[in-house]
Order: sequence, then C-alpha cells, then structure tokens
Amino acid sequence: MPVAAQRFVLPYNSVMTTASPIPKDLTACPDCDLLLHTDDATHDRQGHCPRCDALLWDVSNHARDIDFAAAISGLLLFVPAVTLPILHFSMAGQHGSNSLIDGVWRLWQESEQLLAVLILLCSVVAPLVHMLLAATIGLCQRLQRYPNLYPRWLKWHNWMRSWSMLEVYAMGIIVAYVKMMHDGDVAVAPGTYCLSALLLCIILCNQYFSEEQAWQCWEQRTNA
Amino acid sequence: MTITARDRGLARCEACAKLSRLPLKNTQETRHCPRCNSALSYRRPLSLQFSWAYTLAATVLLIPANFLPILTVVSFGQGDPDTIMSGVVKLWESELQLVAAVVFIASIAVPVAKLVIIVILMLVVQVRLPLSKQQCTILYRFIHFIGRWSMLDLFMISILVTLVHMGNIANVESGPAATAFAAVVVLTLFAANSFDPRLLWDLDHD
Ligand SMILES: [Zn+2]
Ligand SMILES: [Zn+2]
Repeated sequence: MPVAAQRFVLPYNSVMTTASPIPKDLTACPDCDLLLHTDDATHDRQGHCPRCDALLWDVSNHARDIDFAAAISGLLLFVPAVTLPILHFSMAGQHGSNSLIDGVWRLWQESEQLLAVLILLCSVVAPLVHMLLAATIGLCQRLQRYPNLYPRWLKWHNWMRSWSMLEVYAMGIIVAYVKMMHDGDVAVAPGTYCLSALLLCIILCNQYFSEEQAWQCWEQRTNA
Repeated sequence: MTITARDRGLARCEACAKLSRLPLKNTQETRHCPRCNSALSYRRPLSLQFSWAYTLAATVLLIPANFLPILTVVSFGQGDPDTIMSGVVKLWESELQLVAAVVFIASIAVPVAKLVIIVILMLVVQVRLPLSKQQCTILYRFIHFIGRWSMLDLFMISILVTLVHMGNIANVESGPAATAFAAVVVLTLFAANSFDPRLLWDLDHD
C-alpha cells in the first residue's frame, strides 16, 4: 500500500536531496586551483579552501524555498519599485520627484546615452532579469523539467547578478537625500519603500541560491 | 605538498565550476565542459594582456573623469560646474563631512585603489614582486568587493538630474566627466574580472 504513495512523493524529494550545494567528489578552489576532496565535507555548513581561505560552498538547505519565494516577491515588487517616485523635492514653490526609470530617461534626453544605458542595465534590467531567471530556474527545479535553454539561463543569471547594483543605488538615494536637505524640502516617497523591499528580496535570493545545486539538477535531469 | 587541479590534468569550468579532463599539451581544438558546454581552459586565456589593456585604458580616462566638470547645479540662474573633487570639497564645507567622505571614497579612493592594486597583482605575477600569496589574494578579493561601489556617484547624478529639474529656479545638469567616469568604472570592473588569481599561486609551482 505505501509503495504507490512513496512513488508519488519520491521524485521531488530524491532530486532535491541528491543535488547539493557541495560539488561531488572533487573540486578545485576558484582562487588558487587547489584540488580538494568533498566526500567527507557534507557535515560542514561552509567549505573554505585550506590554502587561500576562499569560500567554496555554503550549505543553507534548511531554507530551501527562500530563494524561490524571494524571486517571486521581487518580481511582484519590481514594477512599483521602478516606476513610483523615490524622493520628492520642493524649493521655492516648485516640486520635483524622481523614479528609477525617470532617472534613466532624463539622462537619455540630456544626450548622456552611454551613461543612461549603463544605469538602465545596473538598476533596472539586471535586477529584473536576475529575479526572472532565478524564479524560472526555481520553477524548473520544482517541476523537474529542464528545457535546453536551462544552462544558458543559469549563465545569464550569474552575469545579471553581477551587474545588479541596487544596493549601491540605495546608498545613492541616501547620499542624494542628505545632500539636498540644505537646498529645499526633501521627502521620502512610496518608491523608496518598494525599493527597500525589492532590495531585501534580491539579497535573500542571492544568499540562498546555490549555483552548484542548480547545475547538479541539470546534470541529473531525466527528460534530456 | 599541495596538488592543484592542473597537476592532475583537471580544468575547472569558469561557468559552472565542474572539473573535467583536459590534455595538458596545447591541442588546436577547443574542449567544452560536459555540464554547461563552455570552452575549457586551465587558466583564463590572455588574462594578463586583457587586464593590462583595461587597466591602461581606465588610467587614461581617469584624467578627464577628474578634471572635467561632472555636475552643474544652477540655482536662480547661477552656478559653477563641479568636478568630482570640488564637489567633495563643497560637501565638506557645507558641514556634510560624512557624505563628503562617502563620495570621496566611492568616486576617488576606490577607482584609484583598484587600479593600483591590479597593477601590483600583475607585477607580482610578471616580475615576481616579493609579496605573500595570502596578502595578494586578500587584495584581489578586496577589489572585487569594492568595485561596484564606484557606481554610487553615477546613480547620484541620475537621481539629482531628475529630482532637481525646475526650469529657471533650479537645475542640475551632468557634465562630460560623467561618461568618462562611467567608462573608468566599467573598465576597472573588466580589469578585475580578467585577472586570474590562480596565476599568483602558480608561482610556487614552476
Ligand atoms: Zn584556494
Ligand atoms: Zn561548465
């Protein structure tokens, strides 16, 4: 009797337990190329290189669904965070406000096209695509269907992650706020709250997403 | 006795970190990673050449980035263009020391420190400057960590230009240094990414 029930549950669990953030058998340190065995390392939470102390893996599998949940929440928050005003400024009866996308548009109009494209990439495109791909990859793992584009998505995901710089943008908002306090009235607008929440989602998604695990899922795919 | 992956004929994939066999002798055909199909190599190809090229380009662009105006605040018809440094000085003088320090670190100290560190690392590999591998690796991780924070000034320009756009009363305009500075930031990021830290550790093995 329990056999049928087990078979129904097994696939999800089995893949989730065999794909781990720790590389199988052997790995090499990315910073010094030291060859390391990983067989006896399953109990350590983090793996460090004994020669150069590089972080080799970080097992946070108690919170397995956090990266997926954070990616979905980040996507929901994305449109308001990008389009709502971030700061309000008023001076001598005049008012101004800014949002992420306005900032890019304004620079484009001032014929700073290169700068506009760079800021568009780092503050809008990279965070969006990063969240989208993290959610898609998470979905693939949960459905256990790995399309042929999966390896490419994973590579793009890493690239977009390295160009997503919203935490620096948040610092820029703080600096701009303090700088403008002398010249007029500055107020925080709703976009700031959405942006802070989006930033939290991005940080959680980065923290709990395991690349090695995602690659191992691809290696163990059954519907190749 | 330390054994590297290359000693055992194993190459680490740059994209997915999988180890695969690769002939030690240079063969003409490119091998691909069985897991992700990226091209395999023991060390990043032409790592030092690319790093030098990006570093030199960034160093040259550092001059217009620092001497041309980056931001002009026009208020009631008057205002002077500011370079990065004069902007920091103005912030300092208007009792905003903390903000001045943040902008100084992000826009001046970080790009310069990055370039200096990359040059040091490349010299360690090429002319064997006597520095310990551990320290060099710490420097390498440091420039990777701080690199992105140089974008701060560019984001601030984008925020201010949009926020203060009130016709005759007050206006903030970006200057030609902004594009040069953006290029410096991107080029230093590229330079840091092309440098292969394993070259430092290889010095022990030759
Ligand atoms: Zn190492
Ligand atoms: Zn690979």
